[in-house]
Amino acid sequence: MVQRLKEVDVVVIGVGMVGSIVAKELAAAGYKVVGLERGEPRFTVPEFQSPAIHDELRFDVRKALMQDNTREPVTFRNQGSQLALPVRRWESFLPGTGLGGSMVHWNGQTYRFQATDFQLATRTRERYGKTFLGPDVTIQDWGVTYDDLEPHYDRFEYLLGTSGKAGNIKGKIQPGGDPHESPRSREYPTPPMKEHFSGAMFRKAASSLGYHPFPQPSSNLSQPYTNPEGVKLNACVFCGFCERYACEHYAKSVPQTVILPVLLANPNFELRTGCQVQRINLDSTKKQATGVTYIDAVGREFMQPASLVITSMFAINNIRMLLLSGIGAPYDPAKGQGVVGRNYAYQTMSTVASFFDEGIIVNPFMASGASGTLINDFAGDNFDHSGLGFIGGAFIGAVNTNGRPIQYHPVPPGTPAWGKGWKQAVVKHYNHTVMFSLHGSSVAQRQNYCDLDPTYRDAWGQPVLRITFDFPPNDLKMAAHVTAKAVDIGKAMGAKQVVGSPRTGPYTVTQYQTTHNTGGTVMGENPKTSVVNRYLQSWDVPNVFVIGASNYPQNASWNPTGTLGALTYWAIDALKTKYLKHPGRLVSA
Amino acid sequence: MTNLTRRSFVTGVGAASVAPTAALLTPAQARAEPASDTSVPKPTYIFFNADEALFIEAACERLIPADESGPGALGAWVPNYLDKQLGGAWGAGERLYRSGPWAAGTPSQGYQLPFTPAELFHASLRAIIRDLKSQRASFHEMSGDAQDAYLKSLESGAHDLDGVPSAEFFDMLLKMTVEGFFSDPVYGGNRDMVAWRMIGFPGAYADYYEAIDLHGVKFVREPMSLAEDGKGHVHMRQDIPANL
Amino acid sequence: MNARIRPRLAFVAGCTLIAAVRAALGSGAPAANSDAATPPCEACHGAHGEGMAAAHVPRIAGQSADYLKKQLDDYAQGSRDNPIMANFAKALTEPQRSALAARFAAMSAPFIAQSAPPGAAQLARGHQLAFQGDEEERVQACNNCHGPDGVGLVHSAPYLAGQSAEYLASAIKAFQQGTRKNDAGQLMRSVVEHLNESDVEAVAGYYGNLGSAMH
Repeated sequence: MVQRLKEVDVVVIGVGMVGSIVAKELAAAGYKVVGLERGEPRFTVPEFQSPAIHDELRFDVRKALMQDNTREPVTFRNQGSQLALPVRRWESFLPGTGLGGSMVHWNGQTYRFQATDFQLATRTRERYGKTFLGPDVTIQDWGVTYDDLEPHYDRFEYLLGTSGKAGNIKGKIQPGGDPHESPRSREYPTPPMKEHFSGAMFRKAASSLGYHPFPQPSSNLSQPYTNPEGVKLNACVFCGFCERYACEHYAKSVPQTVILPVLLANPNFELRTGCQVQRINLDSTKKQATGVTYIDAVGREFMQPASLVITSMFAINNIRMLLLSGIGAPYDPAKGQGVVGRNYAYQTMSTVASFFDEGIIVNPFMASGASGTLINDFAGDNFDHSGLGFIGGAFIGAVNTNGRPIQYHPVPPGTPAWGKGWKQAVVKHYNHTVMFSLHGSSVAQRQNYCDLDPTYRDAWGQPVLRITFDFPPNDLKMAAHVTAKAVDIGKAMGAKQVVGSPRTGPYTVTQYQTTHNTGGTVMGENPKTSVVNRYLQSWDVPNVFVIGASNYPQNASWNPTGTLGALTYWAIDALKTKYLKHPGRLVSA
Repeated sequence: MTNLTRRSFVTGVGAASVAPTAALLTPAQARAEPASDTSVPKPTYIFFNADEALFIEAACERLIPADESGPGALGAWVPNYLDKQLGGAWGAGERLYRSGPWAAGTPSQGYQLPFTPAELFHASLRAIIRDLKSQRASFHEMSGDAQDAYLKSLESGAHDLDGVPSAEFFDMLLKMTVEGFFSDPVYGGNRDMVAWRMIGFPGAYADYYEAIDLHGVKFVREPMSLAEDGKGHVHMRQDIPANL
Repeated sequence: MNARIRPRLAFVAGCTLIAAVRAALGSGAPAANSDAATPPCEACHGAHGEGMAAAHVPRIAGQSADYLKKQLDDYAQGSRDNPIMANFAKALTEPQRSALAARFAAMSAPFIAQSAPPGAAQLARGHQLAFQGDEEERVQACNNCHGPDGVGLVHSAPYLAGQSAEYLASAIKAFQQGTRKNDAGQLMRSVVEHLNESDVEAVAGYYGNLGSAMH
């Protein structure tokens, strides 16, 4: 028995960072907004407090802050010819849940993509020719430019208070920053984080090789900061319990510390937690959403009518919502038709381990989630790929985020997996090893996609999302190339032993490799190859907007979150200045 | 510099309380002890029966043995960690998607068996103990080399343990042994924080705002549990849920 | 640190005292028979470093040596403001400050019962702030940095348990008002910024009452 509720102006599905920002802006503009969140409300006090939060077993190993995979799993296979099976325990990627979403437990690494990333297809053709990439690679231009997004990147960084050093202000290269970055209009809101010892070693070695090291931009703040919303954050104390944990110090930029106090104080906004949205409802024309259906924590079904629906969930859940709602044609790789689920991509991660003798004390447990030192010399299109046979690249950095011993106890190759030899190696190397992160781009290819699983269902009886993905050959070539470069830096650091571990296939869900799932509701200028237009408005149902990393046509060399924030403000601008004044298609198909 | 030493007294929750140690095990003591040395106080098991406990204690000690650097799995009470995890919500299948249908899948697809951790351990241990008994052997009485050889055979998947591929059992055993060694002592392992002290991990209280500037300087502090009070007593609580 | 000192203590401040400090400490080694002699510290901080609550003079017995040394350095350099402490600290060399810090860190002293112990409601509120914090005031649990039961965190934060409640309250207020600014990273100022008057008293009274938590 579905209970029909009183109509509101806007329903926001998923009250994470994106949903919180959208809801705040629209509520402040006078609209009645309902935010539906499947998880629980939670706040810095008491839910994020230590020492309880500093529990590696609970949060790292058992994944206490993550989406409940026992009720809402995904299925996975490498190839379309295989049977997809449930991901019975999260490992590879860790979708969040609860008020604040995945950005409660993120590491705070905050980047902009570069100008070339937004026109990757055009740029690649121009620079390397039409046949440089094989026929399976389906990279695209975004339909927006870096210049379109720059003011929105700025706004998001100032909301978060991101700590960093600009490398390019209005075209002028700034010493100490990243010279490869696309121009920004002004400095970061707070100065860079303190440098970890491993970062200092990396910086010297990278400079000696002619590269351009710079401090990792961090949304775990270097100093107290009051953002333009009037919300204040404190300074990070480098506790080493960042990613997969919530911050007890009000120092990590999460919805609770940057915007929720403002949103929750606005009577135009109503938060409903424990609400699992089942679908966006469409009228008989299938071109207009009438609202959403959800089931609450007591199991009651409600229909919430609304004029405008924003789906702002974690990327893969956005894809699934459109599929469950019948919005947009599902992608069929065999026929090469349809768009929803197409161009799913990920992140191509490699590592380099540098082992030092006992005189070098690294102290890996002193860390924030984002106080690394990096180079972008081998990221994106910052180097000439002629003759290399791949596009893309990785940022390379000494990114020391923790020394939590259940999962961090590096040992050199050849060390036995257990026994006396293992134990001795752990003791010998724990405090004398520097791990590099090689954070590589991910091209889209026609065989990688998402759809609804034909067999497995969630606890509400709905088909779960099926992910079909393996590393494109392009990305494995890229990984090998950047790993070799990174090994050189390790050697220049004076390590006794440097071990490069480039990513190899097949992709496995049993090893963590970032929660940077992208694509599936791609944005673009052509409705045949995109799900939403450049304003993130559904081509098929104009009163549905989809905001998430699911909009990315492919993934770049950096963490997706900064760009997601920029897209959020970009879409809000389109909503406030265009759509809400004249509801309808913003771009003709 | 002050470098407070603490004695950690382990207090059990519930019926199974344990006598505190008089002092931390020294490495010299640890090296001399075989699995059944009575100077190491023993946990009270709720999940493992007597035979299973003998196997688990001996096996864990081969996986992480006592040596010059400090106690091994036994001294750290790793078997106690396994016992309480397997006997609790985790063992019963917390955070495990348990619906069928089931298929073996590819290695990329990860764990696909219907067994909960508790079921997997019980099935595997039953099969192991039965197999060894049929050869008139018992694991805890074998020599160290023979124990290692047997563990390697489990690791390589040479045995079918009443439906559980032995590599799957070994993988879970090794993972949980490492967890029991390095997790917070609130869970019943890492007793007296011996594992953290061994590698120099300071534990759950973590404010390094000033120390991070001292590049290359060793950070010397007794490790601290999330469950310790101001006097250093660790109040064990093994039933912490895998949800916030 | 509250700069108001009672008149009879003010008497002992001054140049003669500084000379006495220099003579007592000599090359920087702790004075032999330190309990029998009366170095100037004990005059205000107590014979065993137990503090003088009414004058807002903190207990320093068993305090973190890092912390004591830093405060002495800060007094000497002017980054912590107190004319009397500044005079003493400036008269000491850096090794002498280290020696004094180590000496008091090694001391133990009985805890002085509070003259006006907090009531049950105040203790409960103080306990809540110590263990959990308060979302409205955006204050985290004090114990996060000050250690379990506020017994201090080596290399990081001083003990609060058993510290004089009057001193704690005045220290918090000094951070709030900006008259004390020597906290690394403005960490203390950020934390206590929104604590209201009643919560300042509650948390100070709670820790003041907690001498039993210390070893």
